[in-house]
Amino acid sequence: MHNTEAKERVSSELHYELSQHYYQEATLLQNGEFNTWIETFVAKDLHYWMPVTERRYSKDKRPEPTPYDMAIYNDDYDEVKDRVARLLTGAVWMEDPRSTVRYLITNIEAFHTDKDDEFVVRSNFVVYRHRGQLEHSEHVGCRQDLIRKVGNGFQLVRRKVSLDARVTEDKNLYIFF
Amino acid sequence: MVDINKLVDTKSSTQSKEVFWDQEVYDREIKNIFGRSWLFLTHECMLEKKGDFITTKMAEDSVIVTRHTDGSLKAFVNSCTHRGNSICTADSGNTKSFVCNYHGWVFSTDGKLVDVPLREKCYHDELDRDSLSLKTIRVESYRGFVFGCFDETAPSLEDFLGDWGWYLDTWMVGAGEGAELVGPPMKSILKCNWKVPTENFVGDGYHVGWTHASALHVLGGELGGLAGNQAEMPFDELGIQVTTRHGHGFGVIDNAAIAIHAKRDEYAKYMEETIPKVAENLGEPRAKLFNGHWNCSTFPNCSFLYGTNIFKVWHPRGPHEIEVWSWVIVHKDMSDEGKREVVKQAARSFGTAGTLESDDGDNMVQSTQVNRGSYTREGAMNSTMGQGYEGEHPDYPGIVGSSFIGETSYRGFYRFYQEMMSADSWDDIRANDEHWADCFPNKNYWKDRIAAKAAEAEGE
Ligand code: FES
Ligand SMILES: [Fe+2]
Repeated sequence: MHNTEAKERVSSELHYELSQHYYQEATLLQNGEFNTWIETFVAKDLHYWMPVTERRYSKDKRPEPTPYDMAIYNDDYDEVKDRVARLLTGAVWMEDPRSTVRYLITNIEAFHTDKDDEFVVRSNFVVYRHRGQLEHSEHVGCRQDLIRKVGNGFQLVRRKVSLDARVTEDKNLYIFF
Repeated sequence: MVDINKLVDTKSSTQSKEVFWDQEVYDREIKNIFGRSWLFLTHECMLEKKGDFITTKMAEDSVIVTRHTDGSLKAFVNSCTHRGNSICTADSGNTKSFVCNYHGWVFSTDGKLVDVPLREKCYHDELDRDSLSLKTIRVESYRGFVFGCFDETAPSLEDFLGDWGWYLDTWMVGAGEGAELVGPPMKSILKCNWKVPTENFVGDGYHVGWTHASALHVLGGELGGLAGNQAEMPFDELGIQVTTRHGHGFGVIDNAAIAIHAKRDEYAKYMEETIPKVAENLGEPRAKLFNGHWNCSTFPNCSFLYGTNIFKVWHPRGPHEIEVWSWVIVHKDMSDEGKREVVKQAARSFGTAGTLESDDGDNMVQSTQVNRGSYTREGAMNSTMGQGYEGEHPDYPGIVGSSFIGETSYRGFYRFYQEMMSADSWDDIRANDEHWADCFPNKNYWKDRIAAKAAEAEGE
């Protein structure tokens, strides 16, 4: 499901467009514009996935996690939409007053695939979250995306979020990475 | 100074706020509670083959659990008998032996020291390897669920569970095949006292409608009606709450086992087919529970939601922090497709990014951290809801409360907590076996209530 082959790197022009798309996406999420994000930046055939990865010895030959295994996120489009809807009910006490989330997106590498309009894009992230008076957390990892060209923009088709930390040092991971 | 013998008042149903905060109280818990209780380790399905191992924690102690070459389960402290280094740093795997990274001592899967580098040349063959095994821990399993205990004088796991085992059998035996856990566990840190989530899972039906209003709105369905704690709901008719001798307890919402699962075609089909078999196997009272949704804690720090099927351990890390581990419960006789559906839905609602679990974090943390204030910390917390509306029940063992929205299970949890904190030994605790339920004085509650119901029915 998540092993679309990455072919040659995209041109600098396309790389620029894709980078701008990623920055725009981060801006929407930072501003709490989740509806705009899900309506315009996300494809209806989405798979949004954050596997749980154990610490294993290098001699361990068991396979990597698949979408059939335990995962923190393993959502289709409607499921992510429901997560957005929950945030907009006005009854999420933890988000009133709102917390701030800041995305630093770097190391964007984009590749062509077999399809003209689809690209494999890898990026690193640091997400900082601040809440209440002193509460703060940071999450570091990488994303492996399949991105589709749609009209003037792009839509997210698949996202695999890999967190670097085994134990999450935060109350929850209810953040769109 | 905190009086350890007066942390809990079972008459007024209150607990000192120090139980969430005080370091001395915590130190005593580590000794009297975590040092003496059976603590959840893993499920046997994660240790199927010889040499399989997992690492976990018993309170703050790191432990290794293995399937030894003779087929038996072993558990030992994850610390080398040379200079104390941790000997295993992986979450799980399969191995013939564990080699300490510091100086290379080698331990077998039963914790014996089998080899030491330079044994002849530098230890002159004088090292007494037999006396240098890893510290072993008692290990027993109940229906495949593996527990460990540091205390040689503790009762067997089965006796420690007591009546709670009768309830657990509802799904741990079920229609015959029972259940297992799916990992690897999600893990996260929460800056709360370990008892806040434990009490929440053991007996807090009350918070659901308020805390989780947002998720319930989006979900709709059976539990959608709980959002906002609407006064017109007949809570007394919708379920019960139970507590038992050793503090284990739960609340049940009738006919709501799978209500939290937004996608549940396979699970619904499974339940429909299985409930009659459970009735045949275990009788009607438990078949009814099989179709209910349970919020539970196994004393002291293992909680789960049967139905939603999340399974958690709250490992303490000092009085103000825990490490949460979450697995998913699946019925062994479900289709693979059904199991995958359950894993996905359980993680979605109660995993680290859970649509419901994410609501709870602030409650847990704030109820703990607010006690930084010494003036705040004075006095007691209240758990009187439904006091007196509980007692012995003709069908269900333990003490049964009238509604899943009540604090019967809080009372039972803290009653046993105080008993363990005050007791010098398991003998002291055993001496109280006959009288543990004295603090639930309304002995005829259910008899009277059932008789009144019958009379009412006749009158109609
Ligand atoms: S500490 Fe383990 S071999 Fe020395
Ligand atoms: Fe909750």
